Amino acid sequence: MATAHAVSTRRDLRFSGAWIPALIAGIAFLALPFGRPDRAFFTLDPAFRPWALGSLWVWLVLAFALLALIASLLPLRVTARGELLTVAGGLGLLSGVSWLMGTGTPFGMGALLSLIALVVVTGYGLSESGRIQSDAFVASSILFVSLFIILFILFPLFIVLRTAVFVDGSFTLNKVWSTLNSPLFIFAENPYTEQSELALMSRFAVIGTVLGALWALSRRLKFARFALTCGVAAAVGFFIGFMIYGRGALPTSLLVATIVATVSTLTGLVFALLGQRTRFGFVQRSLGAISLLPIITPPFILAFALIFMFGRRGIVTYQLFDISSNAIFGIVGVSLAQILAFTPIAYLVIRGSVASLDPALEEASQTLGADRWTLFRTVTWPLLRPGLANAFLLTVIESFADFGNPLILGGDRGYLATEVFSAFAARFDPNEAAVYGSVLLSMVLVIFFAQRWWLGRSSFVTVTGKPSSGSFAHLPRVMEGLLLSVFALWTLLVLMLYFSILYGSFVQLWGINNTLTLKNYRDFMTIGWPVFLYTARVAAVSAIPAAFLGFLIAYLVVRQRFFGRSFVEFGSMLSFATPGTVMGVAYILAFNVGPWLLTASSVIIAIAFVFRNMPVAIRGGVAGLAQIDPSLEEASTTLRASSSVTLRRILVPLLIIPLIGGLIFAFVRAMTAISQVIFLVSPGNMLATVLLLGWVEQGQLGRAAAMGSILIVSMLTVILLLMLLTRRRDAGVVGVGA
Amino acid sequence: MKRLIGFIFSAALLFTGSAFAQQVNLLCSPDLAWCEQIGPAFEEATGIDLEFVRLSSSESLARLRAEAANPTFDVWFGGTGDPHLVAFTEGITEFYKPTVWDDLLSGLKNAVGETYIPLYTGAIGFVVNEGILAEVGAPVPQCWEDLVDPVYKGLLAMPNPNTSGTSYTIIATLIQIFGEEQAFEMLAAIHQNVAQYTRSGGAVGLLAGRGDVGVAIQFMHDGVKYVRQGFPVINIAPCEGTGFEIGGISLIKGAPHPDDALAFIEWALTPEAQAIAAQRGESFQVQSNANTPVPPESPDLSSINLIDYDFATFGSPEVRDRIVAKWTNEVFPVPRR
Repeated sequence: MATAHAVSTRRDLRFSGAWIPALIAGIAFLALPFGRPDRAFFTLDPAFRPWALGSLWVWLVLAFALLALIASLLPLRVTARGELLTVAGGLGLLSGVSWLMGTGTPFGMGALLSLIALVVVTGYGLSESGRIQSDAFVASSILFVSLFIILFILFPLFIVLRTAVFVDGSFTLNKVWSTLNSPLFIFAENPYTEQSELALMSRFAVIGTVLGALWALSRRLKFARFALTCGVAAAVGFFIGFMIYGRGALPTSLLVATIVATVSTLTGLVFALLGQRTRFGFVQRSLGAISLLPIITPPFILAFALIFMFGRRGIVTYQLFDISSNAIFGIVGVSLAQILAFTPIAYLVIRGSVASLDPALEEASQTLGADRWTLFRTVTWPLLRPGLANAFLLTVIESFADFGNPLILGGDRGYLATEVFSAFAARFDPNEAAVYGSVLLSMVLVIFFAQRWWLGRSSFVTVTGKPSSGSFAHLPRVMEGLLLSVFALWTLLVLMLYFSILYGSFVQLWGINNTLTLKNYRDFMTIGWPVFLYTARVAAVSAIPAAFLGFLIAYLVVRQRFFGRSFVEFGSMLSFATPGTVMGVAYILAFNVGPWLLTASSVIIAIAFVFRNMPVAIRGGVAGLAQIDPSLEEASTTLRASSSVTLRRILVPLLIIPLIGGLIFAFVRAMTAISQVIFLVSPGNMLATVLLLGWVEQGQLGRAAAMGSILIVSMLTVILLLMLLTRRRDAGVVGVGA
Repeated sequence: MKRLIGFIFSAALLFTGSAFAQQVNLLCSPDLAWCEQIGPAFEEATGIDLEFVRLSSSESLARLRAEAANPTFDVWFGGTGDPHLVAFTEGITEFYKPTVWDDLLSGLKNAVGETYIPLYTGAIGFVVNEGILAEVGAPVPQCWEDLVDPVYKGLLAMPNPNTSGTSYTIIATLIQIFGEEQAFEMLAAIHQNVAQYTRSGGAVGLLAGRGDVGVAIQFMHDGVKYVRQGFPVINIAPCEGTGFEIGGISLIKGAPHPDDALAFIEWALTPEAQAIAAQRGESFQVQSNANTPVPPESPDLSSINLIDYDFATFGSPEVRDRIVAKWTNEVFPVPRR
């Protein structure tokens, strides 16, 4: 369809539409300053007008813009003109960018406008020359999306990697070595204890080897595989010992991630099974609410509620059970907080795979005489396995990336995500922060892509398009009782924690003076409210490009075939998988000086939000587009509508619900985000979550609880509105995992 | 396409506004409550807008170092003196002699010379929750050497020197009293007793107040705040003597709003401005202007055994970075039994 369209336009054109952007590029170049002296965007500083810059190079931008203008108005053959426009636009863009990068001048409005216009010129060129088999809109969109991904995802991450190995301008591995060798990173053998940790770890390796050998014997493996099994088992054993006895950020993060992922996955499985097979309807209905919690709660809020409940003077530990202990600070507390935060994500993922189970299969198995255990082992379990693995790996990634909980509950241990922050914000060692960031990034990416590769290959789908008949047998009574008690415990805990935040926002001084007061809300109104409004504004402004850009990328990836399509897919996945602290360091390193100076402005916060939340919109868009027959769009194109018109008149109205869903989720996620933006706030650009974290740390707990309550309630309202709009019972469908 | 461009611009326009206004960007390191009171009072007095970010003083130093090529802040207000001195030595801040220079306490001026402007002073001490200590039968600590006793295991809190200037002052104090080797032995023993290192120096007293720990090591004037808020804590001055800070105010070199910055510094040193700290800011340091009344709640510095704190040595970047790194690598990572 695209080819037909391109051919039909090629014959008609006497001049190219590229003259408009080419003219804009020229005017912007002449009328506005090309660079700027400092952070202020809208300066008209005459010293940065092109003729004051004293450089011939920068005039190439104008020269190529004029060339493009002339070419677009000449009656040339369409393909030839297309090639000419591509070259003129591309070279103009290149000369502008190379001048900025070469001189390190921050871009000015003139540069911004003329370079954007030149991208559009290049888009026209690529389309008319037939190099991109579509119209100028699609071609320009592809260029813009690729440039955005390069500038705001790949470039900052590249800077992180570069900072790790370039110290003071020269290449060295010293920083990598000294960081990885420091006791903050790994502290395996501890000279201050009487036992030898390495020996203990080796003991675990021996146990692993013995277990591996026993298993291999029972399977009667040949020698080679026998040895391999033993080796792997020994390594796993040593690794477990390393996590338990090792200190430093690496083993601690690994240990917490393992605990959290295991417990969260199991709990998620419990919820998913209950949702499908319980006898109690109200349990099924209330499960929907579980999927809501992580989206509406800033990630560290539960951490400080945990101190109220389980600290040395905690209501549960001290007043109920008379335990006076600080055990909550450390691995126990962080794990608990993360389990509460990430179990819903695991639940959403597992529910997806539980939903794909077919009752007919289980009935068939039972008809063939299988008992419940055989049925579970041979039918249900293999079908569940990929979903469980998926949930496990996702929670591992979330746990690695989590920043707020370790910061509040970390106790005497370091964690990879917090070390990135303290290396940068406290020790001010950007190189060290970059090393930590690179380690964290590579661990997460390995898991992320291994998971995609693995699950992408194994297809366990039992649904063939037709809804299966029949319903699942209920759970066995004992089993159901067990699962229900897990569910009850979880619900009790979560309700208690949320209630304690709400209650804490109304008392004078938590635990000391429990008289009710509205003082915290008055404080919040004077100090927190302007910040809250500012945050809402930035979140709202960034949600629009996040949703539309995500939608556009979905459209390009699903409906268009072009060179670099997998690059666009990869880039947007990368921004999804990268831990927030790493992206935060990346942004501050990449955008603090030089041509892309953006720090200390709302713009950089908004950009961070856009690229962080865009992937959710992409997935919504991809899922939506898959349900729409391309022949609709073909009909529109056949009637000579351009693809921008088709997108606007056909696809947007049809996909308005996922689009609004993406919009609202981008907004809510921006309101509750912390790990990336904590690096980017500046005077006058303070965000609600960062302020809230500061209050928690400064001991303004009542006020923090008030802000937390208001955040949670307002986000809940927004999400409920969305659910009303889409008539979905829970938010997870558009949200996190599924 | 036009829509996309139009959108980019409308989004960009939303973010403009404050670029040309009169404004001071303040990096504020004292107690949050004080920081929050400064802006409105300054705006009322001068009509100049004030935006602040609150960071602990070591974090502030890190932030200023990171931004040295392109500062966003105009003035660094408060926080312990050593990082101010480091910033001055590294050329991140510059000295400015305010018109009220002659009114400032001469002891403070002589100690720091013409590097940064003294803003207030206060001494390190213990903020103790007697109830928690009584629970385990531990005595109220009176001296630094008491803190190494394993009876305080899990009952101590102090700030982290990586983020907190208070914590650096604590470590520097120990080094000056006991010598570096013994000080680090004591820090290692204290580490075995510490339940939590906080990011901010003012926040540890809260842990003691709430009963999460029994003893918080921090500035005594911060302890006064928790006493006044109704927490069951008392202030102890260590028997071997204790270190003190000369909190500072510094002009950032290359400040984006230099004129407004100077106006702010002049205002901040007036008795009226300094009195805000105790009246509305829950901060009970002794203020640097001799005409500012000393709050009645403030710890009486004349009755405390103060050491002869060597600001020049411990405010030098090399010494500071070395000591913090040594603590970070040799004390902090050691697991507690």
